Amino acid sequence: MRPSVRKSVYAGIAGLSLAGTVAACAPSAGDSSPAPAAPGSSATGSTPSSGASTPAGSGSDYKDGTYSADGTYVSPNGTETVGVELTLASGTVTDVQITQHPSNPNTRKFQGEFAGGIAGQVVGKSIDELNVSKVAGSSLTSGGFNQAVEQIKSEAR
Amino acid sequence: MPGSGWEDFAFEGIGTRWEISTLQPLDSALRTRLLSLVERFDADWSRFRADSRVSAMAKDPGRYDFPAEAGPLGQLYRTLYEATGGAMTPLIGPSLERLGYDAGYSLRSSGSALPAPAWDDVLEWAGSTLTTAAPVVLDIGAAGKGLLVDLVAAELKAGGMEAFIVDASGDLLAKGPDPVPVALEHPYNPTQAIGVVQLAGRALCASAANRRAWGDGLHHILDGKTGRPVRTAVATWALADTTMLADALATALFFVPGARLQQTFDFSWLTVFSDGSAAHSAEFEGTLFT
Repeated sequence: MRPSVRKSVYAGIAGLSLAGTVAACAPSAGDSSPAPAAPGSSATGSTPSSGASTPAGSGSDYKDGTYSADGTYVSPNGTETVGVELTLASGTVTDVQITQHPSNPNTRKFQGEFAGGIAGQVVGKSIDELNVSKVAGSSLTSGGFNQAVEQIKSEAR
Repeated sequence: MPGSGWEDFAFEGIGTRWEISTLQPLDSALRTRLLSLVERFDADWSRFRADSRVSAMAKDPGRYDFPAEAGPLGQLYRTLYEATGGAMTPLIGPSLERLGYDAGYSLRSSGSALPAPAWDDVLEWAGSTLTTAAPVVLDIGAAGKGLLVDLVAAELKAGGMEAFIVDASGDLLAKGPDPVPVALEHPYNPTQAIGVVQLAGRALCASAANRRAWGDGLHHILDGKTGRPVRTAVATWALADTTMLADALATALFFVPGARLQQTFDFSWLTVFSDGSAAHSAEFEGTLFT
């Protein structure tokens, strides 16, 4: 079971009526430094990064290209900005990148202060396979992602 | 949900789902007392209700008498206010409201965020009496749910319950002879856990920064300037004797490293960062999957 980005993109894209598969999901754990979102303007389309061609998909409502937009969410630490970058090809989302801007001064301060005593990467196991009674998890949600997708949706028309 | 032998009583309260599990069934009188307690708490403290005491404080300065639980709540908030250099305050309302998170959920920003007023400029919190020098929006969100869990637990005890689990959507208190195994939810994948804690006689609360549907890989969170993953806290857990304390400290871990909070508070902590690493105090040793 791998919900994850795929799931979130479907959730976002369902509202976009962009049916299709997500070809590229994410860099693997070994991948470092994927290209950051284009600097500067948010929610503006840029030219497709590879081989621009006429859209093959007939009836596609969205222009090919890489789009980015910012959304905001409120963490316990204050308001944070998240960048969402979607690559569209023939009406299909082929890539999604999430960029978090460490815009909140508290977050920056916190990042700088923590050192040492850090374990390796956390490892996930399916809750269904665990013999547990309860789950303690996050209760805070945010519309930041969807907010950014909505903006891209209007830009990509 | 805890399994065989447990009786569940579920309801909606203060905007979230509650599940109380007991080994003996709850009679209807006790259920009624629990529901009225939750309703009473909401009527006192909610800033989303026009008829609440907190809404009255937002209109007019003056002296406001709250129920007895305001005493320990005020002490905790004051200690946190000082431990976080003012970052954690019960006076954060105006900023949130301006950003659209108001009683009407307008979700439309009405301007830039305003800094919270300095505590001593506008508020005197003495026991359960709050005296304000100006209209203030009081927000006890960082500890309120945990506080209500503790009040619910006291009501259960008064009703003769010895073994119970109170689950307020992830903020948990377990009392009874046997430890309760609790999964620590993966910050980015609600179908997964990153570890299991045996909860016995204490409270476990979690806090998280991100909408978890944003990605499965922790590597997705990148610093736009460097293109590298940033390391900021994305999920925290706190174990403490009271749920109020665990709830508040789970939030405080976003502002202050756990090791530093431990100098002030008796609790255990776990913080997961956006690069997938984790830091924790001794009690969480061995609870994470490797």
